Amino acid sequence: MMQWTSFVQKAQSLIDPANFTLPTLASSDHNPSKASLFRQQFRLPDSQNPLQEITAELILPIPHTSTSHGDATRNLDRAGNRYAGRLHLSERFICFSTQPTSFTPSSSLAASTHWAGQTNGTGPSGNGFTIPLCCIRRVERLNSLSHVFSLALTTWNGALGKQQNPDFVPQRFTIQLAGSRQACERFCDGLKKGLRECMKEIENLRVVVNDCYSEYLLSGAKTKAQNGETPDARQPPDAGLGMMFRYPGDARKLRDRSKMRLWGEYFRENGRNATLIRQPTFHKLIRVGLPNRLRGEVWEATSGSFYLRLRNPKLYTDTLSKFSGQESLAIDEIEKDLNRSLPEYAGFQSEEGIGRLRRVLTAYSWINAEIGYCQAMNIVVAALLIYMSEAQAFFLLSVLCDRLLPGYYSTTMYGTLLDQKVFESLVEKTMPVLWEHLTKSDVQLSVVSLPWFLSLYINSMPLVFAFRVLDVFFLEGPKVLFQVGLAILRINGEELLDIQDDGSFISVLKSYFSRLDESAHPRSENPKLRAITRFQELMVVAFKEFSQITHQTITEQRDKHKDAVLENIESFAKRTSIRNLGPDSKKLSMDDLGVIYDRYYEVLYDRQQRDKLLEEERRRQEKKRVERTSILGPPVDREIGRVGLGPSPTHMDYDAFRDFLAATAKWAIADSPSPSRKDSTAEQGYNSFRGWGKTSSLLNNKPEPTDHEFMQRLFRKWATDPNEGISLQNVVNGLARLRGPRDIMNNIQYFFDLYDDNGDGMVDREGILRMSEALLFLSRRGFEGTITPTQSVEDIRAHEHDQDKLSVEERFLGSVSSFIRRCFEYADPSHPESKAAEQQKETDDAADKLGSFSIGDDDEEDLIDVDDDSKSTSSAATEKPAKQDPENKPNPQHNRAMSQAANPALDPNNPLHITLPTFRMVILADELLEQFFDAFFPQSFRLSDHGLHVLASSSLSSNLTTFSNIGTAKPQLSAVSGASVAGASGGIVPPGKGLRGVLDNIVSDGIRMAAEVKKRMDEAQRELERSALNRDEDEEEDDDEYDTRTGAATASAMAGGISSWGAGVYGADPERRSVRDTDRDLLEGAEAEVISMRGKDDPSLLLDDHPTSPNSNPAPNTHNSPTRSSDQHNVISKVEFDS
Amino acid sequence: MSESTSTNTPKPSSSVKLVLLGEAAVGKSSLVLRFVNNDFQENKEPTIGAAFLTQKCSLPTRTIKFEIWDTAGQERFASLAPMYYRNAQAALVVYDVTKPSSLTKAKHWVAELQRQASPGIVIALVGNKLDLTNDGNDTAGESPAEADGEAAADGEEATGENQEEQDVATGDARKVPTREASTYADEEGLLFFETSAKTGVNVVDVFTAIANAIPESSLKSGRGAGAGTGQTSLGSGRPADDSRVNLGERGPATAKEGCAC
Repeated sequence: MMQWTSFVQKAQSLIDPANFTLPTLASSDHNPSKASLFRQQFRLPDSQNPLQEITAELILPIPHTSTSHGDATRNLDRAGNRYAGRLHLSERFICFSTQPTSFTPSSSLAASTHWAGQTNGTGPSGNGFTIPLCCIRRVERLNSLSHVFSLALTTWNGALGKQQNPDFVPQRFTIQLAGSRQACERFCDGLKKGLRECMKEIENLRVVVNDCYSEYLLSGAKTKAQNGETPDARQPPDAGLGMMFRYPGDARKLRDRSKMRLWGEYFRENGRNATLIRQPTFHKLIRVGLPNRLRGEVWEATSGSFYLRLRNPKLYTDTLSKFSGQESLAIDEIEKDLNRSLPEYAGFQSEEGIGRLRRVLTAYSWINAEIGYCQAMNIVVAALLIYMSEAQAFFLLSVLCDRLLPGYYSTTMYGTLLDQKVFESLVEKTMPVLWEHLTKSDVQLSVVSLPWFLSLYINSMPLVFAFRVLDVFFLEGPKVLFQVGLAILRINGEELLDIQDDGSFISVLKSYFSRLDESAHPRSENPKLRAITRFQELMVVAFKEFSQITHQTITEQRDKHKDAVLENIESFAKRTSIRNLGPDSKKLSMDDLGVIYDRYYEVLYDRQQRDKLLEEERRRQEKKRVERTSILGPPVDREIGRVGLGPSPTHMDYDAFRDFLAATAKWAIADSPSPSRKDSTAEQGYNSFRGWGKTSSLLNNKPEPTDHEFMQRLFRKWATDPNEGISLQNVVNGLARLRGPRDIMNNIQYFFDLYDDNGDGMVDREGILRMSEALLFLSRRGFEGTITPTQSVEDIRAHEHDQDKLSVEERFLGSVSSFIRRCFEYADPSHPESKAAEQQKETDDAADKLGSFSIGDDDEEDLIDVDDDSKSTSSAATEKPAKQDPENKPNPQHNRAMSQAANPALDPNNPLHITLPTFRMVILADELLEQFFDAFFPQSFRLSDHGLHVLASSSLSSNLTTFSNIGTAKPQLSAVSGASVAGASGGIVPPGKGLRGVLDNIVSDGIRMAAEVKKRMDEAQRELERSALNRDEDEEEDDDEYDTRTGAATASAMAGGISSWGAGVYGADPERRSVRDTDRDLLEGAEAEVISMRGKDDPSLLLDDHPTSPNSNPAPNTHNSPTRSSDQHNVISKVEFDS
Repeated sequence: MSESTSTNTPKPSSSVKLVLLGEAAVGKSSLVLRFVNNDFQENKEPTIGAAFLTQKCSLPTRTIKFEIWDTAGQERFASLAPMYYRNAQAALVVYDVTKPSSLTKAKHWVAELQRQASPGIVIALVGNKLDLTNDGNDTAGESPAEADGEAAADGEEATGENQEEQDVATGDARKVPTREASTYADEEGLLFFETSAKTGVNVVDVFTAIANAIPESSLKSGRGAGAGTGQTSLGSGRPADDSRVNLGERGPATAKEGCAC
């Protein structure tokens, strides 16, 4: 009969070739890949892949050991041991299963159900074997019938021990391959190759097998030792704490001895541990409960943790010694729970048991830091340790966390919540009446069922019964937990329909669990029925009535509910983490924080995804299957990309930060689709460009981030530790300062601080140029109306002069230009005594590099002109604010110090710097710059207030057409730090480049000029002074002439060829706007700084302390070097400043 | 037990769902054990998910039956919490007076409850492990509670105001000054107690104060108010319960910020 069924099955598997040709799906898909299903089916380590497969028939020999039982049916059973199925080959395993379809999504073969004994699903529940190739001693090709391809396999089963019985018969069985000759040959070739490669693993095998109680049992050492024949016989291997502290339950009642005998017999006939062949008896033996001493070993075999241990037998001890003495959060948490893990078991009241528990949990927390330690693991491991050695428990815990209970113990526990949802939906489906009642009574099922799943019924049921559930669970997989749970509810259905609240629900089940050992039918007439315990009843209901609950069902349900559960967890995580962002985050609105949070994690996960794809790509290119470096840990095809799935990356590196900025601010988006960053720039500072460009643009159409020094500065500023990266907290704090209550002073200071590298409150020459560069960088995509220059007199005049084409952007360029100029004008010399030498050297170096560019004569001329203009405009313009403040009292001695500084400002030999007050003044002196810092700069970081992507892309394209040169102009600028500006492009603006291109060049010219000045300082100085003299009388007229000049200068700049900052001089007249009251507050604050600075000046200057009346600007001038008007306007500015 | 099952008792009886939240190892389970069994265990069984216990609390006018959900404190179990505080009428947010970080965590829980739990939930902030401080070693009758007026339970003597100075001077294990926590509790409209589950100081008082603070209306409507609205998903449970306790100003605030995330 058996043979006939096997024939039917074989036929079925043959007609159904589609089962094996399903497309392999990407791991990111909901459907697991065939490889992972294959691994699940045979409980193989993640390193294994299905290499070969072929339909085959397994022919087991008639048992050589004659049994003492003359049971006819059993013999018949054994006589029919031919199994049709599928033979698989992976790198290190040969596997056979009678359930050919179990790892294809549509497995529903009635025949296989029959063979599997109602255990349709994954796991080695079918009949067959999973044998490591190293266990195979010999393969022979049998010369049987010519058309049958038969292989005879001989294993190392029982042959590894030292002493061998003379009547030892090796395990040997035959496999008939069914397939074309070619296919068979191919399979054999694969097998040969695998066998050769796995030869070396035999030593591992010897070690691992030695720990198996079955070896000890079958070696006969036990009986010998009991009989006292060989007192020096080997000690029994560690079969858990139970050997020392007794196993739970009454061994006699559990009929442990007869179970042991049955298993001994089974092992003798079918091989043990590594070479075990599964026949129907195997499943039956597991269903009736495992004997104490073999329990651990069988768990290990059925769960597949044995194969992990085989691969690296020393991993456990190695891990412990590697991390010995180290501390971690997980260890603290473990320590808290050690005394409260199965405290009712004697073994865990002893140091021995607690020590074992501590070691296993600690070792696992090191090997899988993502999970670390989760409460409930202590209970599960404690339970395992009663039956297994530490190493066995360690590997089994790993299988539990990775495969059997995926996501249960993760930091978000999403697996637990998901399976609760699945369980609820199964209850609803299978017991609708009960479900309705629970819903009506507002009882939440999961508050009861969650501990069942999380601690595998161990602290819900009495231990003996929980272990019976575990026996089946390790064999058949997670569906068992669901089946048992459903059965519990069904059996208690009547009572549960009476309950009204959580409390009574819990108490009904509590009392049920406490009476599991009682008769299920105490009043039955039938003694056989009376003998059935409630637990037996539970098992029958679970596996008979709920046999329709398969692994497939669970997988489907998990897929269905996954998103909802993850969303719940994520919204909780988001709420929590936003709330925990600290006081600074209160400056931002809830919506803003939400947007930051989402964007932050989106970027991080995008990065992760990219990394993963690149990694896969790399592997494909290498054309070899890379085995996982670590044996344990999260599965290779683990899903990533959601907060809810577990520990998330917590820090952004600079590249990720760029992505974040690109999603936040328009200016951070790259100008051209292909990033301008090249590999050659990779060495520079923070640039850790790894060539994402193409991949990322393929992956999504998110804006490609650009790279700019400003962004690097922002990164350094925001990060607590730039090497570590930027955390969400850093981002929020960084943005909170900018996007908090509107505060221009704060924004100006923020910007200044970005460039104050050493935090001494000064920004040097280089920094000033970088600032201006950043201003251009930030503004290159326009302002979107955040900056609106007032319709001032000039504007009206401009109209008259037909100059109305000046856009805000263009005028801003002028502002930036004058910004540079003013910065240099008002800069203070750095104190020589502080760090002159050092700084000098740096400056010199930089200047030398810069100075090495060839500069034409034109440049020189321009330089002088510019200085002329700048002096005149500034001095003229600063009159007005000075007049506005009648209490203005310029300090002559201070003025003098300033005036002395004025000219050296352009001399690289005299290091100079601007302070925050100076910087503020310069910004506030210009309407556009003021608006820039007041509105544009903070608002350019888009949070919840704008539909970012739409805006960004639309204006991006328009901007690109306008300033088509940006993409090419930028690299030059960012390369400045490397001093690699190509000399030729430095000053020349090719025709067709926009106004911005001109200004970009102006900035780089500025840098160049600084160097040039160094060479020709004397000459320039002289000319400067001479022209200054000439200019003196013209000051009053400047105001009137100003507007026309603005237009003219800009126009000329547009024409190209102007390679100095001359254009900027004619920018919008900033001094015209009135100083605001709030600004005054700032200036008052600044006064203190200035005065304190003055204190350090030469005491001789004190002599010049004459009060100056307002409106008499020239007055101090007469005291000091009266011949230099450039000094004069410095004085005036400082006066304004002090007011 | 619902009201129907205890009609024979002279005083009206009603159930109150109470949830305990707080950082790991602050003594949530111990507080419950003390309250329910008047017992203390050094090695308490770990709480997996949550433990459920009940205890009656007799008031002059009525009997309150607490259905106590004692949640696991480990950080990662936090995402399970919504399951337990769903429909809760009262919450005990526990911190450890010797561990400042636990108060921070407690504040997070308070914020979470105010936003996500039933409107009008009565929240008590409880600083446990008073026995490790000098206050706890003093006479047991002393109570550092500075909660709202109604919270002061019968038989409680008002304590000296200068307690904090003592704490600092004697350098005991206390790291969270009473005033810091009580000020916060006042701001948020929480009941506030410092307790010791080990010695039993103030433990019953916390529950009595909560029982007193539960408004009559909320008891009348019972905790079944949300029933019949269907099974809600984890964490989003929010019964259509209009009854609201006016503790401080939290009522309107809760409504306003309710859907911010």
